[in-house]
Amino acid sequence: MSKTDNIIDFLGAGIRAENLRQKAIANNIANLKTAGYRRIDVKFEELLAKVLDSSGPVELSEIEPLIYQPNQTPVKSNGNDVNLETEVGEMVKNSLRHKAYIRLLNRKYKQIELAMST
Amino acid sequence: MGIDNTFGPIDIAISGLRAQSKQMEVISSNVANVRTTDAGRGEPYRRLEAIFKSDDDGISGVSLDGIATDTSDFYRIFDPGNPDADEQGYVAMPNVNLPTEMMNLTIATRAYQANAAILKRYQQMVETTLELLR
Repeated sequence: MSKTDNIIDFLGAGIRAENLRQKAIANNIANLKTAGYRRIDVKFEELLAKVLDSSGPVELSEIEPLIYQPNQTPVKSNGNDVNLETEVGEMVKNSLRHKAYIRLLNRKYKQIELAMST
Repeated sequence: MGIDNTFGPIDIAISGLRAQSKQMEVISSNVANVRTTDAGRGEPYRRLEAIFKSDDDGISGVSLDGIATDTSDFYRIFDPGNPDADEQGYVAMPNVNLPTEMMNLTIATRAYQANAAILKRYQQMVETTLELLR
């Protein structure tokens, strides 16, 4: 597997994670009334923090975003634990993070462009 | 609930939204049962009240502490034809006062809107910061 310490690869993984999380949230909202459904979320920030603690290049597959069931929110009488307000909040946070990653990536590309144009 | 620094205001505003929607649920139960003479325990429906508590000392969100029952007296109305009437012809009615519920409904709606406004404003603030990255 490929190892990397390139910021573009990290940002790429971040954007993939936010993309996947957006899908997870859409899935949760679509299943707002599905009996027995437990909400899903994406594990990425924890993985990234763990990997960045160790110095040196990082295995890209180790920071691949994962879908998991937190099973932490209180369950309603029909076995469902999705709350619309919570999902909207997650969506706001998600889109802000996504925007930040895109802006950083844009900055990085501008830097490269600057180096090439001299 | 752990509050992440950057997105703290979002989590707090969401906890406020959840609390107010719970409040709305309680009010709708009270209004729906305003004439319920039999709530199953041999007495009329007792008015419910949502009790909230803050999650932590200092800066924190809000969560539901519990749903308490209002122990004030039932209203008694004269209705001899009612099967639930006593020997004197009086029927005990729920201790729900509709004007009070309507006022609480307005408060809950406004509080919900206020939390949504905070969420929106904070989103705009973070976007202002992100503009610096352009």
